[in-house]
Formats: sequence, structure tokens, C-alpha cells
Amino acid sequence: MKATYEHCIRCTICVENCPVFKVNPDYPGPKQAGPDAMRFRIHSEDKVDKWISLCTQCRRCEQVCPYDVKPASLILESQIAYVKKNGAVPTQVMFSNFHFISHLASFFAPVANFATSLGIVKKMMKLIGLRDDIPFPKFSFNTMQRKKIKPVKGIRKAAFFHGCYLNANAPDTGRNIVKLMQDLGVEIIVPEQVCCGLPALGNGNEKKASSFARKNAAVFAEKVAEGYDILYSCTSCGHSLIHSFPEQAGTQGKIVADNSWNIYEYLEKLIEEEQITLRQQDVKKTISYHVPCHLKGTGKPYPFLNLFKTLPGIEIHAIDDNCCGFSGSYGFKKKNRDTTDKLGRIAVNALLEPQPEVIISDCGACRMQIENFTDVQVCDPVEILRESLK
Amino acid sequence: MKYDIVIIGGGMAGLVSSIYLSKKGYKTALVSKGDPICCISSGCIDLLKTDDNPLENIGNLPEVHPYRRAGKENVKKSFVYFKEMMEEAGLPYYGEEETNRTIFSPIAKKRETALVPMSMKEADIRNGESLHIISFKGIKDFFPGYFTDKFSNSKCSVYNDAGKTTISIATQFDNSDFRERFFNWIGDLNISEDKIAVPAILGTKNPEYIMAEIESRTGKKIFEIPTLPPSIPGLRLFRTMKAHAVKHGVDLFWGDAISEYKEDKNRISSLIINKPGRPTIIEGKSFILATGSFVSGGLFAEKTDVRETVFNLPVSIPEEEERLNSNFFNPGHPIGKAGIRTFENYKPKDSKLENLFIAGSILENSQIMKYQCGHGLALVTGLEAAVNCEEYLK
Amino acid sequence: MIKTDVIIIGGGATGTGIARDLALRGIGHCLLEKKDFAAGATGACHGLLHSGGRYAVNDPEAAQECISENQILRKIGKKCVEFTEGLFLRLPGDTVEYRDKFLESCYSTGISTELYSASRTLELVPNLNPALLEAVKVPDCSIDPFRLCMLNAESSESRGGTILIHHKVIEIIKEKGVCVGVKAEDQFSGEMKEIRAKVIINASGAWGSQVARMSGSDVPMSLSKGSLVIANHRLTNMVINRLRPASNGDIIVPNETVSLAGTTSIHVQDPDNLSISHEEIGLISREASQMIPEFDSVRLIRSYTGVRPLLKGGSGDDRAISRGFKIIDHKNGMFSIMGGKLTTYRLMAEKMTDRIMEHFGINEPCTTAEKPLEGQDDLSGYPLSKRLKKLDDIICECELVSRKEVERVIDKVGTKFIGDIQHRTRLGMGPCQGGFCTYRALGLMQEKGKVTSDESIRVLKEFLNRRYRGIRPVLWGDQMREEQLVEGIYLGILGLAE
Repeated sequence: MKATYEHCIRCTICVENCPVFKVNPDYPGPKQAGPDAMRFRIHSEDKVDKWISLCTQCRRCEQVCPYDVKPASLILESQIAYVKKNGAVPTQVMFSNFHFISHLASFFAPVANFATSLGIVKKMMKLIGLRDDIPFPKFSFNTMQRKKIKPVKGIRKAAFFHGCYLNANAPDTGRNIVKLMQDLGVEIIVPEQVCCGLPALGNGNEKKASSFARKNAAVFAEKVAEGYDILYSCTSCGHSLIHSFPEQAGTQGKIVADNSWNIYEYLEKLIEEEQITLRQQDVKKTISYHVPCHLKGTGKPYPFLNLFKTLPGIEIHAIDDNCCGFSGSYGFKKKNRDTTDKLGRIAVNALLEPQPEVIISDCGACRMQIENFTDVQVCDPVEILRESLK
Repeated sequence: MKYDIVIIGGGMAGLVSSIYLSKKGYKTALVSKGDPICCISSGCIDLLKTDDNPLENIGNLPEVHPYRRAGKENVKKSFVYFKEMMEEAGLPYYGEEETNRTIFSPIAKKRETALVPMSMKEADIRNGESLHIISFKGIKDFFPGYFTDKFSNSKCSVYNDAGKTTISIATQFDNSDFRERFFNWIGDLNISEDKIAVPAILGTKNPEYIMAEIESRTGKKIFEIPTLPPSIPGLRLFRTMKAHAVKHGVDLFWGDAISEYKEDKNRISSLIINKPGRPTIIEGKSFILATGSFVSGGLFAEKTDVRETVFNLPVSIPEEEERLNSNFFNPGHPIGKAGIRTFENYKPKDSKLENLFIAGSILENSQIMKYQCGHGLALVTGLEAAVNCEEYLK
Repeated sequence: MIKTDVIIIGGGATGTGIARDLALRGIGHCLLEKKDFAAGATGACHGLLHSGGRYAVNDPEAAQECISENQILRKIGKKCVEFTEGLFLRLPGDTVEYRDKFLESCYSTGISTELYSASRTLELVPNLNPALLEAVKVPDCSIDPFRLCMLNAESSESRGGTILIHHKVIEIIKEKGVCVGVKAEDQFSGEMKEIRAKVIINASGAWGSQVARMSGSDVPMSLSKGSLVIANHRLTNMVINRLRPASNGDIIVPNETVSLAGTTSIHVQDPDNLSISHEEIGLISREASQMIPEFDSVRLIRSYTGVRPLLKGGSGDDRAISRGFKIIDHKNGMFSIMGGKLTTYRLMAEKMTDRIMEHFGINEPCTTAEKPLEGQDDLSGYPLSKRLKKLDDIICECELVSRKEVERVIDKVGTKFIGDIQHRTRLGMGPCQGGFCTYRALGLMQEKGKVTSDESIRVLKEFLNRRYRGIRPVLWGDQMREEQLVEGIYLGILGLAE
């Protein structure tokens, strides 16, 4: 990692593309936070500064850098070092353990949901550093782990990695994905799993993230050995599975990374191999598609759009220029309010330009954020796919 | 998926050729390891540095210069194509190939170029018009003093309520509330000078409407002055072309360098990008290499040699002993001649690869700095390579 | 006309050191330097505060001077010194005999040493050559020569001394065969100034004989050019030397955010018009990669060169204080002080000033070894990571130089030279070598009315050409990319192409 910052020639292309830099004057930008700062941090005294947490890890800087410099990774290293040295603050502890909170909240779902809208609870949230002016996501008792759909034999076998959000906050959407795959001929199971570890990593807890990764990798690598492909829908979980698991979970982690598929990418593959065909019904809609940063980061054409190339009638405007500003746990924190709101407004304005009837996005956090700024219907892309297929 | 054409390099040459070919119905992919240099450029399209007719002066260039192979006719055609394309894409460009026009550099030096975006149309000051410079408090890379010092009949006003970087101010201009406050302020200035000059920060998209509003509030024409990177006009140019390519069906593979390629009987069959997870494999019938010079990473200078970074094609290096002159400001550094040698049809001379075409500043003898022909050369050779590629595919 | 007691010609470590010493002893003086501080060997050296280890075996007297001055400078110049310590590496092929001689000689000259095993050494500096056998730790440090000169000069000015940089001595005025003053030309305005004094000190280093000849005398000199290269980051946090008889290219010094490696020694005739050859770069890279293998592929951002002002052996006049340096009384009102090294500058200044006091018949002892350099509180110190705390309004992003710092320098020094800002703040010393910040610094100077718009363009071009001379010998890889970008900015966007 140290070597990559050598290649930086200060072209500022990363700065041109950093969402935080353009709206937050306190953030010096990926060039300064990454390669510039590294030259000062090699000194024996390891010191990192508070502003490092302003980076949302959207990774656009890495995608646009023409020289193989990885500013976001350098910054992540520094973020983790900061927490190691200064200890985690309450919000960081909370989000590193989101998996457990998610379980707890879903177990006590109706009460938990009611509580988060109470004034006194909001005051407490504010005290520990959370925003009290945006709705906290609602939890459901019938998580994906608790209520599973019985798998049906199909032409292919797949194990679904749902992630915390689909599991406890949008399990019906998750089950719709499973149903859709089943209807298309995939035998799909939902193995026991824990958080993908990204919230822990983003909040400075590398150890916890690795332990989640190892637990998941053990389960899913075994499934691969049994002939299952791994599917994911949440693009941030996908990012974790592919980019972080090999480092965090050794050989099993690599097996997971090599066999993980975005659900639409998987469908594309099956169509190409002529194992399935999509039959479309007559649906006409104008849709704005907010491409999550982690999906843009795959560096490939967006698979969901590719499916629709063969299914006319639906007009999809894919907008990938803007980070929505929520970035997982980032958007819940009080200290980031200004940045998150400004970016959210910019992103939603762009999405509303084509005058869509529906706004879609693969990422749960992005959906939450978009809903804060518009009354237009916001949903997971799978709903559109289901609607347009016979 | 198998593409008809895979273009490597998402800069001016790559983008223009991808749009051209995709519009013609070919399944086109554009692979780029990052954003190109044009996104930090001044946003203007240089044809050739000269005091009179640039198009005619192509004849005075060395025989080996890529413009000479293209010829006057094709250079003109390419520029016209570009103007039409940008009009369609929503960021119109103005200018003639037969005369250069003036823009200002950030240090108040006049610079000549062929095509300018609409926001710099009025920069062509020829009759000693007076200027009112608008600046922003604490702005990082703009010093209005250069202008007020040089043009004694000019004045400067500073807006206090904006960000300090080009990109943050431009983002603010995208916001209607901010714009309204700014319009009110500038209207109240009661500007008496002939024209208004502003650093290039009038929003991240086509500033047409913002400029029209300013003109209506003040009664004066306004133009932008390009800045050091981050450069907003460069950003607009690049993003507009990229969106246009996507609109016309070009598939983008963006953000990673090509790790290896597979060839079969002197034909490149696929490009492979090794990534965590599964490698991305891009298959194609033909390929265009438009990866640029050293600054873009298309060429890499070793201590004694120069390497082409994707296919390891042999690079022609100038015979002079020193790669660079001793004077930094003499733009004719010998290294500017380094590049890939090609045949008339833009296929590489020193390689057996049959389905590969070369375009842009990676071509030998382009000497972009010396002749001041950067974007123009990329645009012209990009289209030429595309046309030749099309021939090959038929 | 300026009237004073002593004229000092030369604003390197020696000259400024003498100025401070004279000031502390209450003697009026005027220092003239044709460029900026440390424009000669002082600014072109390793920036190494020697422990003396390098000289212990062959020149114990010099080694003793070094260790003694090393201890003194650590005390009086805290903010100029980075307490890195140093290592002498024994690589395969370096003899045990030399190691033993080394340890003995260090012991007898008072240089503290510690012998480390290979594994311990690699713990301290992980990227050293893994084949190393062992290493000896010595109290080497990294020192900032510009700061040193600046602070010495400030001491002088605060006590009434006159410091005239960018003033070139054109003529030495003699009356009845005795030097009575000089005529100096202000390099920016062209104005000619006359300064009269009772005695002149020639501390002009490599230009020593040129200056001496102006007074009708000579100093026989042997000029030896030494080149160094700068690597983009701190490859090591300790000074690295080779445990073998001193040779070329065998020192690597960490300095702020970069590493300096060198040096060479090539005989030259002319202290001006120096160039750096590919062979020199090759030699330095080869030797340095023996100690730190990564050096072969590391990004080099610049190379620089200077001339050692060595005396031709056995000169006429004697008062040889030490074999390291010599004071020559030309017996015409002018003294020359020649030779020496950065580490012993204060001692040289002390001896020279003692001589002057003798000449004037005044009894005033030297206190420069005890009194800390003033003005250090203003300077940013170590650790480097401290500077990342506030990134407001940064002018040079590579080296984290803030607008405030630059403005302070512009106001204080009234400068029209970018180099002046560079030496005082490290502006433009990072990987992009002034790609962006030069333009910004000039904009600030223009804003403050120090230069007109046309002048500032001239200054910008002069700076860029100077910078380019240092970069040209190392232009490959990342630095070539950097250069094309900078070219694109200045020739393209700013429109400065000729």
C-alpha cells in the first residue's frame, strides 16, 4: 500500500470527483488526505487527524485516478489507525456492532420501531452522536433468517448473501429477490450468515470486520464446495465479499470472492448461457436509477441496465454522477449532517430531472437517503424486474 | 460479450471514436483505467499554434506529423464533426478552423486556440474593451491582480459568500438559491466596463443559462477564464462527451488498467482486467489504442527506454541524445516525438497485430506542446482511426 | 554608503555563523551574499550533522571536532536538527578489521557507539538490505542548513548587523594597498552600494579564490563537485552510512519528508555552470541500493549539486587551526576562511571571530556554543505528522505550507524571489517540485504588491527553469509524468511557452 502513493503526480482528478470535497470545506480532499499525508505519516510517530473521518469511502477517487494510486484505501488505513490510537466513539461502537443491534431490534421489532420515534429516545440518540432529524430505519420481526422460503430444485444452485439491511429492515424485498430467482429456475438457499463487516471496517474496527468475514466465509465456502454460486443484491455487501474477504478470511475468503455474483450479473450470465430466458410483459414506466457508489466501483457496465436492453418499454435513466451522501453509517451521524444533506439534495435533484415515476437503487442506505428528499416512490430494482416479467 | 470494437483510453481520442463507431451501429466498448487528462484541461480545442490560418499551416508541419497524414480536408471534417457532436450533446463549441481565437490564461496572458466552449466565446478581446473582473474571497487559484495590473482600464469586485476552490464554487452555482443571491449581487454592482470576466466556476454543467441571466441583469457580456486543475471547463467537456457516449450505447469499463491480453494468429481476441473476484474479460473483433502519452500513462519512461504500457508495442524514440532541452520553456523537447509508428491506416508498423489501430498523442511525432495541437490531434486521429477500423470490420 | 567594522563576503553557514558570533560580541558588521543564504556548498550538501564516525579512522582530529560540534548544535539549534541518530552498516564484503578500527577510533575520539545485530538493525529500519551483517549506531543527525543560516542571520540583524542577500560584490576597494571596503550590486534593482569597513572576511566558499583575487591575493583551491539525489519519501528514519573507508555515494539522510542520497566527487574548475551527469546519478543509485534495495525503484524527484571548497594542500600562510579548515591572513586587511564542513561551521566562525577580536585588540569571549539560536519558536518542528492537524488554506500541498507562512515570509523578507520562500518554508520541495504552489506563491506576491504582473511572470519563469535543471537528470518514470503535467499547466494552461 505504501508504494502506491509514490505514483501520485497531483493531477487533482481525484479531487474533482470527491463528493465530500465539493460540499465540505473542512475536508482537504482525497489527494491531501491520502498520498500527500502519507509522506508525513511515515515518521515514526503515528498520528492521524480527526478530519480523516470525513471521507465516506465512496471510492470514486480510486476509480478516476489514472495512475494506480488508491487514495481511499490509504485513507481507510488512516481511519483505522485513528480509532486504534484514540479509541472508538459511541457511534463507531454502535455501527461496528450493527449486526447485533439489528438482531436485537428485530426481535423486539414493534417496540423498537415505536421507541425510535419517541422524543426521549431521539434525545439519547443525539447525545451519543446520531442525528435525530431523520427517520431511523424500521425493523421487522420476520427477518430473512427467521422466515425463509423453501428452496425448489432448479437449473443452478445459489446461496444468497442478504446483508443486514435486507435481513432485518427490508426482508420482504429480500424474499422477493429469492422468489424471483426461484421463479427463473435457480435453486436458491439462504444460509446462516452474519454482517458482511463493512460497517465495522468503516468505523475503525478491523478486528470485528475480519471476524465477521471469517464466519461468513466458512459457511459460504462450504456451499461453494457443494456446487452453489454465491449471490448478493446489496452492492456494499458485494464490495465486502469481493474486495475485503480475501484479505480478512484467507483461502475461504478468496473462494467467496471468486464465486460471488451480483444477482443481475448472474441473470445476465444465465441468459448468455441460454439457461433462462426473460419474458416480458407490457409495462411502460419512466424510472431514474441511482447507481450506488459501490456498484459504479465495479468498473463494468451496470448489469441491471443490461437486462433491460432486451426488455423495451421501460425507460431507465441511470445516474451515476453523484454519491447520495449517506454512505452507510456515515449519514446517521450528527457531525456529518451538513455534508450528507447537501449531497443528498444534489443527487435527488439529478434523479428528479427526467420526471420519473419510480426511483430505484440497489443499496438500502441510498434508498433511505433518497426517501428523505422526495415523495416519489423509491424501491429496489428487483421490484421493477418482477413487475416487467411474466 | 463480444464487441465489434474495444477502445482503450477514455480521453478525447477514445471518446470521440467510440461515439462515432457506436452511432454507426457497431457494438462498442470503451476501457479506461481512470479519467483522462482532458478533464483537467482548459476545455478548449487547439488545432495548431499559428498567427494566421491554422488549417492552411498544417502544410508547414514536418511530413511525419500525424496532421499531415490526415490532411487538411480530414482535419476540417473532424472539427466539424466535433462541433456537431457537442451541439447535440448539449455543450456547444464555437470557432473556425481557419482562424484561431483568443482566450485568457489565468495570468492574463493571451492564448490562441481554435474552438472554445460557449462560456469563453466573448474572451476574444480585440478592440481594447475594458473588463470587470469578478473574483471570490479566498479563492485558491485565481489572482485578479494579474488582470487589473495588466489592463489599466479594468476593475475588480469580490464576492464574499462562496467557497474557496473551483469545484466547490461551481457546485454552489448548480444550486438555484445560491445563483439567485449571486445574480442579485452582480446586478447591484452596476458594472460600467465593457465585459465581465470570471474564473471558470459558473456551474458544473453548461453555463449557458447562468451566463444569460448575468447578461440580462448587468447588460454586459461575460466570459470565463480557464484555471489550474481542478478545471471546470475540462470537467464539463469530459463529462459531456462521456455521457454522450453512454447515451449512444457505448459500454464503459472504467477504473482499472488492463492486466493482459490474449491474441490468436496476430489478432487480439480479448483484454483481461485482473480484479479481486473474477477477472473482467472483454472480447472484441478490433481494437483502438488511444492511451495517450507519459502523463496519461500510455507511455512509460524507463531510465533508458520508453515502454508502451498495454501491448508492449515497440516505441520509436527520437535520435537526439538528450530527451529534453535545457530550457523548460522551449516546448520542442525531443521526447515529444516519442510514440508508436503507424502505417497510413493507423495500424502499428512495428507489430504483427492486425486488428489494432492507434490514435491520439501516443502516435509518434505528435509533439503536442511544440505545436499546441493537443485536443485537435486527438480528435482528428481518433476519428481517422475509427474510420480505418470501420473499413477493417467491413 | 554603509560604514561598519567588519564585512563578511558569503552567506553560507560560515558567513552567517561569523555574523552571529560578531553580533554576540558586539562588533558591527555587514554580510553580503550574491544569492540567497546557503547558495553554495551549505545548501547543496547532505544536510548531515556528523557524529564524526565517518572521519574517526582516518582523521581523528576532524572526528573530534565533529562530535563536539554535534553536541553543541543539538543544544543550540533544536528546531534545526532532527534527532535521527545514524547507522553504519556492515554489508558482505566490508571487513571486520575496519569495524574494529572504527569502534576503537570512535571510542578514543569520544563518539558514542552501539553495536547492533542484523535483526535488531532491521527492526529499526525495516527496508535495509536484508543481507546486512551488523551495524554500529552513532549520534548522526539530520540538520536543515537553510534554517541554520537564516537563524544566524536573524541573530545578527536583531543586534544591529546588516545582512544584504542578493548583493554581489563587484569590487574590493583598496586604499594604499589595504582593503577598506567593497562595492556590491543589488541583483534585483541594479543599484550599486558601497560598504566600508576595517576588515574584510572572505567566507565565500568555492568562490574563495575569485574573491581573494579581487583584493590582489589568492587562495589556492581545489574544487570538488558533489551531487546528490532526492527520493520522494523517507526511506529511512535514521541516517545510513557504510562501515568501510569513506567513498562515493555511501550516505542516505532522511530530511523532512524526503531522503537525500549521495555523494560524488568530481574535480571542476568553475564553481558556477555545474551540471549533473547520468553517470553520477547511476553511481549514487547503485551505492544507495546496496544499503536500501528499494532505492533502485524509488521515485527520484530532483538532483542537485554543489562544490566543496577544498584547499590545495599546504598553502603558504599558516595559522592552520585544524586540518579541516584554514584561516588565511592576506595581510592587506582581508582574511579568508576556507574548507571545513557544515557540522563544524560554528567552530570555524568562532576561530575566525577570535582572530578578528585579536586583530582589533578586544577581549570578548565567544558565547555561540552556549546561547541557543533565537527565533526558533516560530518554526514548525517535528514530528512531521503534527502538520497534518490543520489543513486550512494550504499553498503547497505536497509539503503542507500554509498561506500564513508564505505571507509571513513575503512580508518579512520583502522578497521577489520564489527561492527565498522555498528555503524558508519548503514550498515546492515535494514531489511536484512547485507544480502548483509556485503559481500560487507568485500570485500572493503580486497581490501584496511585491511584484508587478510582468515581473511575476519573469520570476516564475526563472524559478521554473532553475527547478527544471535539478529535475532533468532524473526524469523517468513517475517524475516524467509529473513533468509532462507541469509542462501542460505552465506551457498549456498558463500559456508561457516560448
